[in-house]
Amino acid sequence: MTPRRQLAPTERLHTVPLQAAGVSRVFAGGGAGVHDIDLAVGTGQIHALVGLNGAGKSTLMRVLLGMLRPDAGQVRIRDVAIADAGPHEWREVGHLVEHPLAYGELTGRQNVLLAARLHGIARVRAGAAVEQVLAELGLERYAGVRAGRLSLGNRQRVGLAAALVHEPRVIVLDEPSNALDPAGVILLRESLRRRAGEGAGILVSSHHLDEVARIADRITVLNNGRIIGTLDPGGVDLERAFFALVHADDERRAAAEEAA
Amino acid sequence: MNGLLIAVEVELRKAVASRVLGATTIILVLGLVALTVGLELGVRSGNTNVTAQLGPLAALDGWARMVGLVAQITAAGALIAFGVVLSWLVGREFGEGTITSMFALPVARPAIMLAKFAVYLAWVLAVALVITAVLAVVGVALGYGMPHEPELAALARQLVLTALTGLVAFPAAWAATLGRGLLPGIAATIGLVVCGQVMAVAGVGAWFPVAAPALWALDPSAVTAPQLALVGALAGIAVALTVRSWSRLELDR
Repeated sequence: MTPRRQLAPTERLHTVPLQAAGVSRVFAGGGAGVHDIDLAVGTGQIHALVGLNGAGKSTLMRVLLGMLRPDAGQVRIRDVAIADAGPHEWREVGHLVEHPLAYGELTGRQNVLLAARLHGIARVRAGAAVEQVLAELGLERYAGVRAGRLSLGNRQRVGLAAALVHEPRVIVLDEPSNALDPAGVILLRESLRRRAGEGAGILVSSHHLDEVARIADRITVLNNGRIIGTLDPGGVDLERAFFALVHADDERRAAAEEAA
Repeated sequence: MNGLLIAVEVELRKAVASRVLGATTIILVLGLVALTVGLELGVRSGNTNVTAQLGPLAALDGWARMVGLVAQITAAGALIAFGVVLSWLVGREFGEGTITSMFALPVARPAIMLAKFAVYLAWVLAVALVITAVLAVVGVALGYGMPHEPELAALARQLVLTALTGLVAFPAAWAATLGRGLLPGIAATIGLVVCGQVMAVAGVGAWFPVAAPALWALDPSAVTAPQLALVGALAGIAVALTVRSWSRLELDR
């Protein structure tokens, strides 16, 4: 069993797993940029980002993980500015953005083992950690199959296992339930709930409002690259509330552009 | 550098599992042997087209002609094979989207890129040894007798030539990085081959790192040490530029 570290009370109080302050990033050729984003993912919290296609969810996640440098603002991982983050901070981060770590010529197990090593798990502990996360995501049957022969859903599970194998304290997942079957969605939900319960800060993006409502503690709505509001995960009609926010924002922007 | 040993371990596992390196080795060695034996038999049979193509080499015989043939084929053929493999090692991460998994890690991206260079170089050295060993067997099989001191020296130069050709392909890694894929690396390799051929024909090949190793292998007195050292300089600059690009990498396109 991989030892799971419990947060010290002081850490639980003071460490913010992931934080963005005034973050903007635009692209020269247009496209889904993000503007003036303030976001904090708290310890033990599952924070969902929802928005239509092109709203800027993936761009924001890329900025949060250092795949894009912000034009303005700052990202902090466990209270350290991303520019200053070193192995100590990155060891605590697990992510899956757009493409799973699943090399076709390697088996599911081998892929997850590589991820474990890259995330800093010692060789002697890596095997046990890999078996544990494979079991958690229901991948035992497919662990010895080359990833290139796996279904899209099982490749996604391998990517999730690769992102979670090192028990990260900061988790960023872009559309994690993509291609997953209902059983996979449930396993993922349980895995994220357990990790949040043990103190991880989790940011997930999703189109599926029903799923988001089941797991999220907090829902932030992104539209046209800006945060336009929040939704109550316990609300009665999440879809209606979501579209009301988006339409109101679209109308506000259209009116502002007309006035300009 | 953070995590270099882990990065080497990971890249080595990926390379061993893939069929690309093994298949390229087989194709390169078999192609080299087939071309060499074919040209040798062509010269022996008095085929004027072949002797015209070989130029001064046709006037030689035995080990000297065969090693000269292999040197010329290596300069172009091995460079293409090495460039394609290096482009694949780098470009596949962009093409398959796995480059996203190389961010937000305790292992630094420059370490991952250096590990790719290290694994690639180890493979190049293995290929160089295989080519030299196969060449020795082919020479004996063609009836040139057991190689003695001058032949062994020529075979040693072939080993060095193959290794230096591997260094010459380094810019392909930078091109694959800048172009975010396999094809820009291959295009850069083809550009290197064409430039090398043009420079050699123009008579300034000794100062051009792409052509210098083959010219040296054919005639060590034709290339000076500083001229040969330019191969190392080219490789060093290519490594520095590629690692810098990986350090500053953004997934913005």
